[in-house]
Amino acid sequence: QSFKLLGFLDVQSVPCARESVLYGSLGSLVVGLGHFLATSRVRRSCDFAVGGFLSTMLGYWFYCRYNLAQQRIRQRMLKEGMQNRMLFEGSYLDPERNQTGNERSDS
Amino acid sequence: MANHTQFGFQDASSPIMEELVEFHDHALMVALAICSLVLYLLALMLMEKLSSNTVDAQEVELVWTILPAIVLIMLALPSLQILYMMDEIDEPDLTLKAIGHQWYWTYEYTDFKDLTFDSYMLPTTDLPLGNFRLLEVDHRVVIPMESHIRVIVTADDVLHSWAVPSLGVKTDAIPGRLNQTSFITTRPGIFYGQCSEICGANHSFMPIVVESAPLNHFENWSSLLSS
Repeated sequence: QSFKLLGFLDVQSVPCARESVLYGSLGSLVVGLGHFLATSRVRRSCDFAVGGFLSTMLGYWFYCRYNLAQQRIRQRMLKEGMQNRMLFEGSYLDPERNQTGNERSDS
Repeated sequence: MANHTQFGFQDASSPIMEELVEFHDHALMVALAICSLVLYLLALMLMEKLSSNTVDAQEVELVWTILPAIVLIMLALPSLQILYMMDEIDEPDLTLKAIGHQWYWTYEYTDFKDLTFDSYMLPTTDLPLGNFRLLEVDHRVVIPMESHIRVIVTADDVLHSWAVPSLGVKTDAIPGRLNQTSFITTRPGIFYGQCSEICGANHSFMPIVVESAPLNHFENWSSLLSS
């Protein structure tokens, strides 16, 4: 079963969504409460809480998605490297064979 | 294929569709942020007393010009990146022609041998147990996986559209015109699609089934079919 925030964002299946919303809520609480404790102004503190929610949520979202994109690229490179290793093992394109050949020539 | 209550995308089976799903998630997160802000401002204004004393609001006008511009840039940059990625022309490994008729598809593999066949939907009365109703066909489009496939789409009679959601492909089939699309399947599997342009009584009953298989399986299938 999926839980859709505001009826459209499925926080369970979208990577980084759940953490973004949770960190955003925490950021909102910290900023809003902190501002209220410092100034005792309710309305302005609510404004800061919403601002804190949006900036923390979007900030963590970009950070998490950037890391996810890097991970996916690394996964693709690893997959291609593994496929190439199987294909080229023992042939002149095998990088490990070139290294072994150099060691033999040095000794 | 999609299940009966599915609203979201099907699992991506091509790199372009993976990028589209990522962009869609990003756009939804931006939409959530905007909707939250609008909901808060709405609640605030409902509690505020009406006043006509405001004559000048330079700061807030600057904010509500700059902020939407930033939001639009955040959406436009990945969108344009994917748009140009979809239009990249690379040397295809296989060219396939898909011709729409009322109400079936004809596929032609003419790169190496003249291989042509029609693809009709399997009627529900003839459907084997466990198969998908209104989605299965008698002859699937078999393609080699992880190979660049070019599809040239046209139609014989009226407008049709060749669409396979999990590959991120939808191309209109227009009589007298050749439209080109291309894709790479990242994994073996069977991918379903349906005609996506109204074309008559049986528009909903001319599905598309793409079967992605390793190259040796594709070669066996093509030699069996052409013999």
